[in-house]
Amino acid sequence: MNCQRIQESFLDYQDGRLDPAEAAAVREHLKTCLECQREWAGFQEIALKLDRLAPEEPSPRLRTQFYAMLETHRRSADSRSPFVLMRSRLDRVFAALLPARPALQFAFACLLLVGGIFVGARYLHPPGPAPAADEATARELADLRKQVNSMGTLVTYSLLQQQSTGDRLKAVLATLDLKQADQRVVSELLGALAFDPSVNVRLSALQALYPHSNQATVRAAVAASLPRDPSPLVQVSMIDFLAATRDPVAVGALESVSRGETYDVAVRDAARHALAQL
Amino acid sequence: MIADTIPELRVQSSPTVVESPPSAVDSFSDHELMIAVRAGEIDRLGELFERHHRPLYGFFVHLTGDRTASEDLVQLVFYRILKYRHTYRDEGRFSAWIYHLARKVAADHFRRRSAAPVGVEPDDIHAVPDEAPHAADRAVAADDTARLHAAMAALDPDQRELLVLARFQRLKHEEIARLFDISVGAVKVRVHRAFKQLRDSYLRLSREPTS
Repeated sequence: MNCQRIQESFLDYQDGRLDPAEAAAVREHLKTCLECQREWAGFQEIALKLDRLAPEEPSPRLRTQFYAMLETHRRSADSRSPFVLMRSRLDRVFAALLPARPALQFAFACLLLVGGIFVGARYLHPPGPAPAADEATARELADLRKQVNSMGTLVTYSLLQQQSTGDRLKAVLATLDLKQADQRVVSELLGALAFDPSVNVRLSALQALYPHSNQATVRAAVAASLPRDPSPLVQVSMIDFLAATRDPVAVGALESVSRGETYDVAVRDAARHALAQL
Repeated sequence: MIADTIPELRVQSSPTVVESPPSAVDSFSDHELMIAVRAGEIDRLGELFERHHRPLYGFFVHLTGDRTASEDLVQLVFYRILKYRHTYRDEGRFSAWIYHLARKVAADHFRRRSAAPVGVEPDDIHAVPDEAPHAADRAVAADDTARLHAAMAALDPDQRELLVLARFQRLKHEEIARLFDISVGAVKVRVHRAFKQLRDSYLRLSREPTS
């Protein structure tokens, strides 16, 4: 240690507050450094004089005034309620139980935290995926998906009930956009094909039935509609449809049309041609 | 040899000004008493007053050099303890808190006087009742004490405060560091400087012929 450090520690050295190693260093330094010896002597002289100063004693006036102030304060303050007394006792209990030093408080808090984590890990199970909830969610999702899919169908149903030819036509054409039209749509199309007064609507319905030509009921229904349809144009289109499906179920209908005198020549020719294909 | 005499030179200081902290005798610590005061049992402040009013009075006398004012300042500190008792924190040490309040009270006092504290009038300071029975020795001691007080008064207010807290109130360096919001190392350096300054002033006053 240099001289300045030595002199700065004189106060602690004199009060015995230095640790043994530092005190030994000061002692060793003082043995050899004349300047520090002089400083040390001067320091001790003043320290001695300060220590010998008489303790200052206040006059009795201070005590009198203090207790007068306390009395005034007590009178002005409302009498202590049972709640205040209870709080005071509680405060004292906590002050006695809990550590007062911040470092100990911190250690205590850490201990509580570690204890909490241990107890939590030991006795509480982490919440796993709730299968019931998932099942319900899946069901709900499926329902929603179904509802969205059926939305287009519903629109179609409502449109098919329209009285205007244009609207009905639109409804039939809209079914072409449906990727997977359900059975109800198919039967509506077959109904339109069989009973709609408009040639255009019946033609469009037939067109819309092409994607469903793999269904036997569709083929049978088209075959059944063929002899009854008043329009040769629609009848020729139906014959083309049946010929394209190559279903023997249509043979009866085609034969009756090809032989029927009431049918248009073009229709009978087309029927014969289709029969030849089948 | 001088080396052999050095350990003997060391004078164990005797804290005569500060009363030893009452611990074993009293059933409640300062902290517990203050908690009770905070909760509304203001009568318990009397016990705190009995324990601390003398050291506080010494602090103010050394700081201001004015006995009458010092009594008022002690009174003011206890008044503020009552007034601000709700701000007392559980983790705080009571001694640190009371000196925190005392420093503020002293600062207000100096501000009110709008000047540095006036130097102590030697007549105002009573000499230590010396063990020497001779009148001449007593006169010398009285002069010496007056010079010491004058040297104290000549210090900067901050230096004086630091020296009083460290030397008379026997606060630990750590407590002073917290009060002044400086490091412990800085406390040591400043106390040393204040001590050196006091000694220089004292020696200068000693060399001057007494009027």
